[in-house]
Amino acid sequence: MNTLNLVLAAVGEGRIRGGWGYVWTAYGIAWTGLSLYALSLWARWPREERK
Amino acid sequence: MSKPLRIGFVLLALALLVSGAWIGLAWAPPDREMGHVQRIMYMHVPSAWMALLAATMNFGTCVAYLWKASWKKDAFAEATAEVGLLFGTIAILLGAIWGRPTWGVYWAWDPRLTTMAILLVAYAGYLALRRFVDDPDRRAVWSAVVGIIIAVDVPVVYFSVKWWKSLHQVQSTPKTVDPQMVLALRWNAFAFLAVLIIFLVARYRIALASRMRETTVPDAPSGAREAVV
Repeated sequence: MNTLNLVLAAVGEGRIRGGWGYVWTAYGIAWTGLSLYALSLWARWPREERK
Repeated sequence: MSKPLRIGFVLLALALLVSGAWIGLAWAPPDREMGHVQRIMYMHVPSAWMALLAATMNFGTCVAYLWKASWKKDAFAEATAEVGLLFGTIAILLGAIWGRPTWGVYWAWDPRLTTMAILLVAYAGYLALRRFVDDPDRRAVWSAVVGIIIAVDVPVVYFSVKWWKSLHQVQSTPKTVDPQMVLALRWNAFAFLAVLIIFLVARYRIALASRMRETTVPDAPSGAREAVV
């Protein structure tokens, strides 16, 4: 564990600082895309199978 | 599959997705060069893998359909194309967002990006073709042929980073990546695989129900093949 902490301390935050806006946007797009598609499947689900 | 099992699988996929997001956003370490921006990889790479997996399944189903026709195969081919297009679109959008802070641009005409874009446009065309042809029998044959032609691009997408050394990095291996990053990537890959299975099964049942409606109406085309094989 100490070795891992030493490595992490050496790496720090990486050369590119910040960038959380890009990360949240990417995760948001992925989750929104999957959710909207799931919703479209539910909307198109055959009526006879809903009963 | 019984209803409780289906609900259980959906809940499992959701749990994998939520925990995968936490692992990718909070647990995995930042990259030495890219910092926190590298966390986009845990969504981008599994999406691209699922897109290529769906495209490979589409190819196999198209070949199987031409070998021995059935509405089940046609319905599954339709499902793989649409779900593959979804995952491919997510992968390319996330890649563009990742490209801005690391490459300095959202888009470059890099071989990997270009061949992936061609694949997505081709599947959009495949789905458009299916909408334009009314005769279910003809539609199934034509789209199976188009599906096989599109599949030529799948190995080109995969090997493009090896054939043409360019902006997009080559595939990493677990030996060259931090074990925590490997675990985060694999966890999210299994989460996306579970979602892919759920989407494929649901979309297949929608497509099959549509084929049944088309082929059981009195004025269905005379050339329509057997209802379900």
